[in-house]
Amino acid sequence: MRVNIGPVTRLEGHLSIHTTVENNIITEAKSVGEMFRGFEVILRGRDPLDAQQITQRICGVCPYAHAIASSYAQENAYSLQVPANGRILHNLIQGANHLYDYLLQFYQLSALDFIDVTAILKYSGNDTDLVTLRNWVKRELASDKHFPAAPFLPRLSGKYINNDEINIGALKHYIEALEIQKKANRASAIFGGKFPHATAIFPGGCTLEPNIDHISTYRSLIMEVRDFIHKKYIPDLLAVAAGFPEYWHIGQSKGGFLSYGLLPFGPDPASKRLFAAGVTTPAGVEPVDFEAVKEDVKYSRYSSPSGLKVRDGTLTPAPHKKSAYSWIKAPRYQGKMMEVGAAARVTVDYLQGNNQTIKELVNKFAAKAGIGLENLNSVLGRHLSRAISGVVIADFLLAETEKVDLGSRAMVDFQIPASGEGFGATEASRGALLHYIKIKNHKIDKYECVVPTTWNCSPRDDRDQPGALESALVGTRVENPREQIEANRIIHSFDPCLACAVH
Amino acid sequence: MLDRRNFLKLAACLSAAFGVADLPEPVRAALKKIAPDKVPTLVYLQGLACTGCSISLLQAQSPGAVTMITEYSKLAFHSDLSATSGQQALNLLGDYFAGRAGDYFLALEGAVPLSMPEACVIGDKTLAEHLLSAARTMSGAIAVGTCASHGGIPAAEGNLTGAVSLKEFYQKNQLQPLIINIPGCSVHPDWVWKTIIYLVRAGLPELINGGEPKMFFERKVHDNCPRYHDFQQENFALKLGDKGCLFKLGCLGPDTYADCPSRWWNGGQTWCVGVNAPCIGCASPMFAAKKDFPFYRHFSQSVNQGGEK
Repeated sequence: MRVNIGPVTRLEGHLSIHTTVENNIITEAKSVGEMFRGFEVILRGRDPLDAQQITQRICGVCPYAHAIASSYAQENAYSLQVPANGRILHNLIQGANHLYDYLLQFYQLSALDFIDVTAILKYSGNDTDLVTLRNWVKRELASDKHFPAAPFLPRLSGKYINNDEINIGALKHYIEALEIQKKANRASAIFGGKFPHATAIFPGGCTLEPNIDHISTYRSLIMEVRDFIHKKYIPDLLAVAAGFPEYWHIGQSKGGFLSYGLLPFGPDPASKRLFAAGVTTPAGVEPVDFEAVKEDVKYSRYSSPSGLKVRDGTLTPAPHKKSAYSWIKAPRYQGKMMEVGAAARVTVDYLQGNNQTIKELVNKFAAKAGIGLENLNSVLGRHLSRAISGVVIADFLLAETEKVDLGSRAMVDFQIPASGEGFGATEASRGALLHYIKIKNHKIDKYECVVPTTWNCSPRDDRDQPGALESALVGTRVENPREQIEANRIIHSFDPCLACAVH
Repeated sequence: MLDRRNFLKLAACLSAAFGVADLPEPVRAALKKIAPDKVPTLVYLQGLACTGCSISLLQAQSPGAVTMITEYSKLAFHSDLSATSGQQALNLLGDYFAGRAGDYFLALEGAVPLSMPEACVIGDKTLAEHLLSAARTMSGAIAVGTCASHGGIPAAEGNLTGAVSLKEFYQKNQLQPLIINIPGCSVHPDWVWKTIIYLVRAGLPELINGGEPKMFFERKVHDNCPRYHDFQQENFALKLGDKGCLFKLGCLGPDTYADCPSRWWNGGQTWCVGVNAPCIGCASPMFAAKKDFPFYRHFSQSVNQGGEK
């Protein structure tokens, strides 16, 4: 039986999954990106310094990652030496953005797959938030409104956590997380100007001269976020894991892991990073080579040639192309399918022994859950990897604030050459992000982005290999094939961003 | 329902916004459905969008997003927050669009791909088909952000989808529903939420510039800029990272109508010019529209000359 589970909600953008289900098992899954804008064409012929602004509008959930990747690419093209302050501010902005994104991903986008929201009706305590929420839900349910208590109801059928204390605690934290994510974004806005879509990030640094006022506010906000991660986010995640331990073994993608590394310790993007770059192969982890990335379009709605390297990329939309089923291209690394994102980032770092804290955290939580490193490739593994990333990044940001040279410029003076090219790579919250810029006659001649969800939600490639999400869905048991809450849990664990994927 | 006082207020607003004499019939019909003191139901769709406006709506400070969707509005559907999904979500949307689920406002984030409808699909239909169904039943629409209000970056020069604003999409289909435009890339959360509070408390706010609430978009950024004194004293920033008036780096404050200089962003933390970043005119109808009108004009001209090899 064929079932289209689209639109999949609680993710960024327009995703449908076309499934075939036999005897309650998903036997085929096609990931369908449903929205196209054509940023790479819009960027052509524009001033190069428009790029870090325009590419942020690819995604309003992780705009700072695009600003950073674009800045790295332009710095590469302009041969810039960025002052230490400039890179630190880039890091402070980008890192705080990761923290907000992890909280949003867990509480707003994923928790409702596991938590029973109707438990609020049984609340008998006196917490103001919860009493307000309970009374609101009661009023809604008693009213003659259609779809009462939206957007929390209606919901998909399936098993939810059967423990009022955990459910009500998580709902309280759902509300608190909405407050805490604002603090993380306020922290990035101190240096970025606003969130979403920062205006102060440039190749060469940031336009703000950091002072004690900025740094002390930033630190205070990050401390609050850090506290929430340790005291609420991680315990809630572990409670969900205890209620659904089978999800350490569900949703495994069948390719490799790719990470570009995140947050450099020095001004040069090539310096050691908090999370190391690498690609997993059967032989171990290898350094990343951007020339090994090629994008196939056999099943994508483009008539442009398939299998092009990033620097050769072109884009001719063909909305009626017969063989195609998605607007997403199919990037492959040396022809192989890759998963990117938090699980890839943590695993790639762990296997190289780059960051001791990451290793210790993985070992600690794996021992607690009775799983191995390989189980990070799962629904719960992806959630755990985001939480571990959050812990490590929060501490890194606090340490970075101590390195700021107060009252000194954070921006290098520069001239844009008439021609040049550059790559910029970083980790968005949801994975490996690569930008490429080529400048000719002072204008952008070519701009290419290979974005995390392009990898994770890719359709089949020219050799008919499925994308990471497609491969993770096949074989999953679903109780209600028409609704597939189990598939929704897998999809959400990848934290898809469709505006990014197609751009 | 409308009492006489509010009716007169509405009439005054409308004469300013549209000219009462030739108010189109659909707008007259829509206005009858706006009942102050009744919490509006929002059906929130996304077109050629980045979700930045939705994320911005979650950054609202006072009141915050939870209060807004429980006390001041009913969020019937939002792709990022709704528990419902798939066919169940399509059934919900279908009920509203067919008029079976009561009065509602459509909120659209993102532009509409006029010449390539396949470039935006929600479930089983194109965005365009959903919008045409909604036009028959909605009380009115809120265009959230620059893309929905003016086309924005998806509609920038050289785009391949023929992207247009919500208003232009309806006009091309000979429809004239009531549309409130709230531009900004991203939109400021207050601009949207406080427009909704206004709808609850008083009805339709006064609209200017073809549909923007006057209370937020009456004056230019430049006119209220705290660095206006620097401008008068000709204390100009000449390179990125300099303080002073940012006019000579290409600041678009003189061309952009928005209250950023007094409202600030992210709970009043700061704003673009506050961190020495020129205003890029993100709330302007011409935002990013032309390839030969870059964000940082004077700067790029001088460096381009210097960078000649």
